[in-house]
Amino acid sequence: MKSRVLILLAASILLATLLGQLNHYLATWQIHVWCGGLFVAFAALRLGYRTGAIAAFLAGLLLDANTPVIFGTQGFLFLAAHAVIYTIRARAPRDETIVGVVVALLANLGLFLVMSFICINPVVEASQAWLRGFIDLLISQIVLALIAPWFFAMQQRLLELIGTNLRDFSRHSL
Amino acid sequence: MPSQRFDQAKPFLTLGIALVAWLLIPTAVKRFARASFFELQAPMETTASFIRDLQDFWSLKTRSKNELIEAGRDLARLNAAYESRLQQDAVLRNELERLGRVLKLPIPPGYRAEPARVVLREFSSWWQQLVIRKGRNYGITAGAPVIYAGGIVGRVKEVYAYTATVELVSNPGVRIAAVIEGDTRPISYQGGINPSYGAAVGAVEYVPTDIFVAPATPRRLVTSGLGGVFPPNLTIGYVTRLEPSTDGLFKSGEVSLDSALSALSEVTVLVPDPLLPVR
Repeated sequence: MKSRVLILLAASILLATLLGQLNHYLATWQIHVWCGGLFVAFAALRLGYRTGAIAAFLAGLLLDANTPVIFGTQGFLFLAAHAVIYTIRARAPRDETIVGVVVALLANLGLFLVMSFICINPVVEASQAWLRGFIDLLISQIVLALIAPWFFAMQQRLLELIGTNLRDFSRHSL
Repeated sequence: MPSQRFDQAKPFLTLGIALVAWLLIPTAVKRFARASFFELQAPMETTASFIRDLQDFWSLKTRSKNELIEAGRDLARLNAAYESRLQQDAVLRNELERLGRVLKLPIPPGYRAEPARVVLREFSSWWQQLVIRKGRNYGITAGAPVIYAGGIVGRVKEVYAYTATVELVSNPGVRIAAVIEGDTRPISYQGGINPSYGAAVGAVEYVPTDIFVAPATPRRLVTSGLGGVFPPNLTIGYVTRLEPSTDGLFKSGEVSLDSALSALSEVTVLVPDPLLPVR
């Protein structure tokens, strides 16, 4: 389990770095991409509960360390999203990439809205803040839909490299 | 059936237990974990910024010698102008120190200017911050003001081993005591909403009612020096709109910040140093 968590953590670090670089360039146009759902979806759909939960929590802490939010905020949001996806995953053909992308998009939508409720300062004009937030959300969803198949494939290949057979994991592997 | 229901609730039960356990963890442990996670990612971000610098270097290498000669000539002219300004500045500083001694005024702290490259920029609707490529290794301290050629960038929020995060002046959580240029009455500045594809904006409050601005004739907003974080007379932005506040005693309005704020590649941290003369 440890090696699987480390592999997923390494993939999360890579994704966080790439998104950070993308945001660095997009900052010129005051745009921000946030793909929290992507850090959770694959592990929640394809791996056992404990491995996925630890990986999602660590990914959240990784993002928390770089952002001015209370440490643990994104960690627990990712953990909650993981619990929801894990509970309902038996009802969908979870091995399909398209299902993974849709789940990641939905998870990202929910997480983005919760993060907005937490982070948007109530003192400033809320309507303008939410309008800006929705632009960021729209662009984030587009970016997520574009990179999700690559990220899922990379995670799958990395796990296969350490001898993990994803078919072994079932709903009852908690 | 009950066992299946319990099985379904198990992830949420685990989540609840983890949350309670997290709340019981001492703050020092969390702080250490946060710094560790940050330092884990810092080398990659720093490497990416070095690669960007290398790209810039190689793109500059493609310039012709004539372009470099012209740039050198322009730079020499600028240097000559700055030399002259420095001499005037030294005369004024001496005069200020002399008057301070005569009037026995308290000496404000001096600052050591520490230029730093920008590693990461983040401009979201939630927060606006920069990561710079200098930290404890250069004596950067939390709370130190950060400036650039156009005025204020923000203040250092957190300092790590060799990077630091800077909270931008456009961040909604930032408040600064400011004055309108040419006026001495302090007003309150706060970061505001940053619309996409446009310059960042802020807001001012408690503006005296006898101050008037129009979009065509904006007034420069500068730091007041009150509060001790920012030195006085640094540009924050330009007040473009003012309207009476709800109580009618003051005005509140909008401040237009420099659009270069979201494209900075180098900033200067003013590290407080009581041994240095005031600048």
